[in-house]
Amino acid sequence: MTVGLVIGVLVALVPQPARAFGDVGAFDPRVLLTGTQTGAARPTAPMRWSNELLSRTSAPARARPTTVRADDRAITDEPFVFWSGDAAVAPLTGSEIAGLRRFFTLGGIMLVDDAAPGPTGQPGPFGKSAREQIARVLPDGAPIPIGDEHVIFRTFYLLRRAEGRIEGAKTLDAIVRGGRTQVIFSEHDLGGALARGVTGAWELPVVPGGDIQREHAIRLAVNIAMYVLCSNYKDDQVHAPFLMRRRALAPE
Amino acid sequence: MLAAHLASSSDLPPWAVLLACALALGSFVLLAIELRRRESGGAAIVLSGLLAVAALLLAVLRPVRIAARESLVGARVVVLADASRSMALEGEGGKPRRAVRDEVLAGLEKSTKDARLLILGFGDGAPKPLDNSPELSTSAPRSDLAAALRALEVAPDERPAAVVVVSDGRLDDPPEDASAATLRALGQSLAVPIHTIATSQKAPPDASIRKVLAAGSAVAHVPLPIRVEIGCAGGLACDELAVTARELRDDGPPALLASGLAHLKDGKGTLDLTVTLERAGARILEIAVAAPSGDTVPANDRRLVTFNVARERVRVLHVAGRPTNDVRALREWLKSDASVDVVAFFILRTAINNPNASQDELALIPFPVDELFSEHLPSFDAVVLQDFDAQPYGLERHLPALAKYVREGGGLIMVGGKNAFVQGGYALTPLGDKTGVLPVMLDGTPGATAADVSSFVPAWTASGLGAPLLGPLRSIVGEDLPDMPGANVLGDVRAGSVVLWTHPTRKTPSGAPMPVLAIGDQGDGRTIALGVDGGWLFEFSGLGARTAGRGYGALWDGLLGWLMRDPRFEPAQLEVVGGCTAGLPITLRARLLAGVSGAGTDKVTIDVSRIDKTSAAAPIHIEKPRGGNVVDVPVPALEPGGYTARLHVGTGATTRFDFACEAGGDEWADSRPDPGRLQALAEATGGRFMNAGEDLSLLPLPKPTVVSAERHVVPVAPPWAWTLLAAVALGAHWIVRRKGGLS
Repeated sequence: MTVGLVIGVLVALVPQPARAFGDVGAFDPRVLLTGTQTGAARPTAPMRWSNELLSRTSAPARARPTTVRADDRAITDEPFVFWSGDAAVAPLTGSEIAGLRRFFTLGGIMLVDDAAPGPTGQPGPFGKSAREQIARVLPDGAPIPIGDEHVIFRTFYLLRRAEGRIEGAKTLDAIVRGGRTQVIFSEHDLGGALARGVTGAWELPVVPGGDIQREHAIRLAVNIAMYVLCSNYKDDQVHAPFLMRRRALAPE
Repeated sequence: MLAAHLASSSDLPPWAVLLACALALGSFVLLAIELRRRESGGAAIVLSGLLAVAALLLAVLRPVRIAARESLVGARVVVLADASRSMALEGEGGKPRRAVRDEVLAGLEKSTKDARLLILGFGDGAPKPLDNSPELSTSAPRSDLAAALRALEVAPDERPAAVVVVSDGRLDDPPEDASAATLRALGQSLAVPIHTIATSQKAPPDASIRKVLAAGSAVAHVPLPIRVEIGCAGGLACDELAVTARELRDDGPPALLASGLAHLKDGKGTLDLTVTLERAGARILEIAVAAPSGDTVPANDRRLVTFNVARERVRVLHVAGRPTNDVRALREWLKSDASVDVVAFFILRTAINNPNASQDELALIPFPVDELFSEHLPSFDAVVLQDFDAQPYGLERHLPALAKYVREGGGLIMVGGKNAFVQGGYALTPLGDKTGVLPVMLDGTPGATAADVSSFVPAWTASGLGAPLLGPLRSIVGEDLPDMPGANVLGDVRAGSVVLWTHPTRKTPSGAPMPVLAIGDQGDGRTIALGVDGGWLFEFSGLGARTAGRGYGALWDGLLGWLMRDPRFEPAQLEVVGGCTAGLPITLRARLLAGVSGAGTDKVTIDVSRIDKTSAAAPIHIEKPRGGNVVDVPVPALEPGGYTARLHVGTGATTRFDFACEAGGDEWADSRPDPGRLQALAEATGGRFMNAGEDLSLLPLPKPTVVSAERHVVPVAPPWAWTLLAAVALGAHWIVRRKGGLS
């Protein structure tokens, strides 16, 4: 009895995820798990992503990002998932495909981040296999390159190219369905640029641009989060003259 | 009356009678020829011959005596008396045209005793028996003589032998410029002459708005050209007249939309004005002319014209305090609807954020709060304030204007979140205070609780279950609602507003369940309070997955549609049966949506009030049992002006209907009588034109028909007697002829 009470008190004292009013609709860089995956390729990246969003923008973000399996009913509880890996993924099961299809049908957005791309940004084993599996989930959509003309490159920061832990290609790839960008492919190890250990030190070096490239990678992550929360808001006509003027003035 | 006369035997056909008479006549001629050959006794031969032929003719015809009760049946004459509003205008000598018309009718009844007069009033459609009361006998909003004549043609009754029209000649149909052929055609199918009697000849001194013509239909926010035709007659001096176009508004005096100076020549002038109506739905414009002194018909110096303003696209201003899943969901829904034009401003960065970049590296623009909420506010149909704190961005100073915008017809939705309602600083503002425009009151006391962070499932109210605006949502989710992650604390609902969802446990200061979703009418506009930020869970949740996320669109389709008075989401449709004429009782017809149910929906309530509040007359409040889905509500006579009728079905939402009542309407727009048109009509149809006061017995009406009853036929003599008489007469004539030397 006493032991039970003590355990109950201890459980009550364990910090719970912040779910105060106004936070449930916050950005959650939810980690998607498939097959035998047990976590994100860069486990500290999602939390860093949330922190950067919170400090740099007005957007609320989950301090403790969650994980979800593709075949879990909870896959449709949020509009975003972050799928990363550094090794080839196992083929998706039927229930995983069904879960992801439900997610996309509701308008969900997925970021596929290759944590082990080739040195010049070509897809690594994870990138290649993830593309194959996404093609099974969305057979009607083929990835297309998206550059700085896409709203993702101006949802918060004005960006000229995509960058991550590695510089890679200037563009991202995306599957656009019904006018909405639903799957974003990054061969830049975006999570690698965000990963930060408990000591506060960055876990991985960013090549070749160092800190400036890392900053650009963080900005891209912020922009992706803003795209998830605001959709194509920055494509509105009211923003066009401002943004065109700034792009024209900004140094290359 | 009893009458008797002689006739031939009824077994003889008319041709036989004629033949016998012809033969008799022939016999006389032959006798005259034969007389030349006589030797003597000419007179005796003639006399006996005449007698013999006559006796023979009588033997053939065998006369009978007919005694009968006979009566004269007058020809059926239909008198079409003008029952339009123009007959209430004054004619010569200050006497109403109606009075002159009634004198003519009385005179006709006296002077045409041999005719069967059927007096009908014509106005709008088929003619009807003329009402005796001065008001009702001049109540028709049109004077369509052509329609009345067509109705006579197709009526199954006895056809008239003549038609007499008594009118001032100011007719809608036939029009002023009708050709003689057109006028002739009016009488052709009836094939009777149309006699006309003019009640008036002289135009009263009067300046008026004769016509208001709009080029195309009215669309909200789009300039609409209108042409105003002004007339001046009766000797008034009108070279230049000022014309104004004002919109009647619920929250104050009419708003001037355009004005100009009309130049008149030969008593006529036109003025082109351009007006822009910002709100969709029925809008009432007052077009007025500043008439010179001496004008005897002031009622037609202004016209009240109802424009049904359409919406090309719904312009929505979407302002969000921070980007969240709820903001994303609403934006995507608004952008997915091609009929919605969205202008969005989201606060993406606050003063405490450090983006670690220069301004030029950011895709952020200043929030133009002053420009949006002053200059551009009227151009929006609806404003959505989502999770938005009024204080840091300077919105507070624009809240009085926002409240005014609502009362003038705009829509406002406040969507919940961490920074909305009490937390957003709206409690002691024109949005949330005791006279605010939001459908709920907000607690403005220091330290007031702004939010309840416990999750809950909203409860449907009876009004919510019966509300048409939530019908589409219910058809998808039934009564299931997602588990909401907390709620903004809202106060009691205002009088006239309706709560659709409530919190299952929290109470308002009055002890009522706390509203979560409430709607309300404020002046010309409407507002909605949605005290949660979990609307997006209709898409992303177990419920969302089960319903393919369609609940979210259905919810917002209903909310925005109701805000924009989409007929699909109104609990009823209202109309004035037969239009509204000032001074006469009217009937408001409510067509209730079949699915409207809930507390007290067995009763409908209608409140009728002046739009511009310029009259001291108290608003009219009428309650009536619902009965069926079509309810006719009699409303007492109204003064001229613009009116709003608000219909409540039980405790549910309100339906609003704006309408105008004019003293004369189109009928008084041109007060001049038109005896010339009546004269042309009479001449074209073979009738006679007369002026009131002339001798009505001179009207060439058809003669009456004689009708016999109780007919008795008695032979004057039996057939054998006629035969004997003929034989004797012929014998005597033969003897006389022989004596005279004829064979």
